[in-house]
Amino acid sequence: MGDYVWFHDVSWHASYAIYFFVIGICSGLAFLSYGSWITPALRPLREKAAYLSFALLAVGGVLLIADLSQPMRFLNVLNPAYLNFTSPLAWGSLNIVAFGIASVLYLMALKKGDETPRTKLIATVTALLALGLPVYTGYDLTVHQSRPIWNTPVMPVLFVALAIASGSAVGSLVAGGNEAARKVLHQYLLWSTAAVGVILVSILGTTNYGGAASELTFVILTTGTMGLIFVGIGILAGTAAPVALLLAPVGHKQSGLMLSALLVLVGSAALRYALLMGPQQLQTLY
Amino acid sequence: MSEEQRVSSIETRGVAGKKRYAMVVDTRRCIGCMACQVACKAEYDTPLGVNRTWVPYKVVGKYPTVKKQFLPRLCNHCDDPPCVRNCPVDATYKVEDGGFVLQRYERCIGCRSCMAACPYNARFMLPAHRTYSSITRVVDKCTFCFHRVTQNMVPACVQTCVGRSRVFGDINDPNSEVSYLVARNPTQVLRPEEGTKPQVYYIGADRNATEFGRDAYHKPDVMELDRSAFKRNFKI
Repeated sequence: MGDYVWFHDVSWHASYAIYFFVIGICSGLAFLSYGSWITPALRPLREKAAYLSFALLAVGGVLLIADLSQPMRFLNVLNPAYLNFTSPLAWGSLNIVAFGIASVLYLMALKKGDETPRTKLIATVTALLALGLPVYTGYDLTVHQSRPIWNTPVMPVLFVALAIASGSAVGSLVAGGNEAARKVLHQYLLWSTAAVGVILVSILGTTNYGGAASELTFVILTTGTMGLIFVGIGILAGTAAPVALLLAPVGHKQSGLMLSALLVLVGSAALRYALLMGPQQLQTLY
Repeated sequence: MSEEQRVSSIETRGVAGKKRYAMVVDTRRCIGCMACQVACKAEYDTPLGVNRTWVPYKVVGKYPTVKKQFLPRLCNHCDDPPCVRNCPVDATYKVEDGGFVLQRYERCIGCRSCMAACPYNARFMLPAHRTYSSITRVVDKCTFCFHRVTQNMVPACVQTCVGRSRVFGDINDPNSEVSYLVARNPTQVLRPEEGTKPQVYYIGADRNATEFGRDAYHKPDVMELDRSAFKRNFKI
């Protein structure tokens, strides 16, 4: 008692977690649209996924700009005289712009009904740029060496797995009664969600065996309200439960897949929130 | 520091012909008067709710042998600053001759990436409204009083420190007071494990103050009340 501490504010607020969620789905849907060129069962999703991905990119862009305290200066990140390439945000902003341009070209080709190898090439480029979105958002956290949980090399991989899971979840909801698409999406959803679970266990395990900061961050993430969000909603309800559901016979039915998809969406939103906010809590006390 | 030990090209400590300003804080001499905090506020008109320098303290020991451990804090003007690496628009940069880590307010987009990168919580967001300044809604921090030091003065906090707890100077100059203090006393820097090579050296700092507190396990209720009141009143 009687101590004097100065309360520091967290750097990134919950709005950034919403951006992570939106851009993850955007990226996952771009993968699905590209996947339809390789897996014919996904063909009915090609246009829907591409349009939805582009719409979410617009929403994500607005969220990202609105989160800046100087939103009118967002063009600074595209000014070659200012760009600092040691910052993942600089690469991220270039990636977003390039993905936006590729998406427009892809949508124009789809609108023409052009199914030539040229359109497939644009789809490939769009998917590769879409892969950059979760990679850069994960890398954006990884580079902060003083933050436990964030500073793990698997963070970009986790964000890619989360993007595939959330994209497949939205794809499952959009696919509706299409049985062929449902079978493929079932596999995508199952394996990506299981991958998320494995990576989370790995992160939590190494964090619990870390130094004082890691140990305290582990406590923050696994107890109290943050524990409810991270472990309760994110891991149990949003990762373990859908995997169990998808492995069960009911998971192969439309209703089971849709329920799993909803759980994955809720869980991935909770995970992104907890992964962003949890590791920042300890720092506010230093 | 020898050439062999330097791992990053941005580091300037020990580079011949270059200045590398540093601060030594002798915590044994700090009386917790907070004059440094007030001098800094006066120098920069730092708004309510944020500080360029602050002096937290912890009460350590058991009654009747208790004492307050002060730990004056500020930007560590790291030799290898993670905030500079993380800024996407080069709004924060390191002055090569002197090692000051400064901010270009007109360029800052307010992404707070530098705040997230700083292990010392030295950076903060300026509020939207200020009485005497038009610099708002950008990230700000301690500048080691760049404008004073380049006029051959010491930083405002050093000037005002009644106990001469804070000492400032060029650590690359072997005849400077900071070089002498660092050479002759056991010193420590905050969070050395982060590899940032901080240039604020502490003499006599207590582990209770420099390490992550156990408060995270058992936060006193009063702390939560204070924190929620702080958040309510200072929408930063």
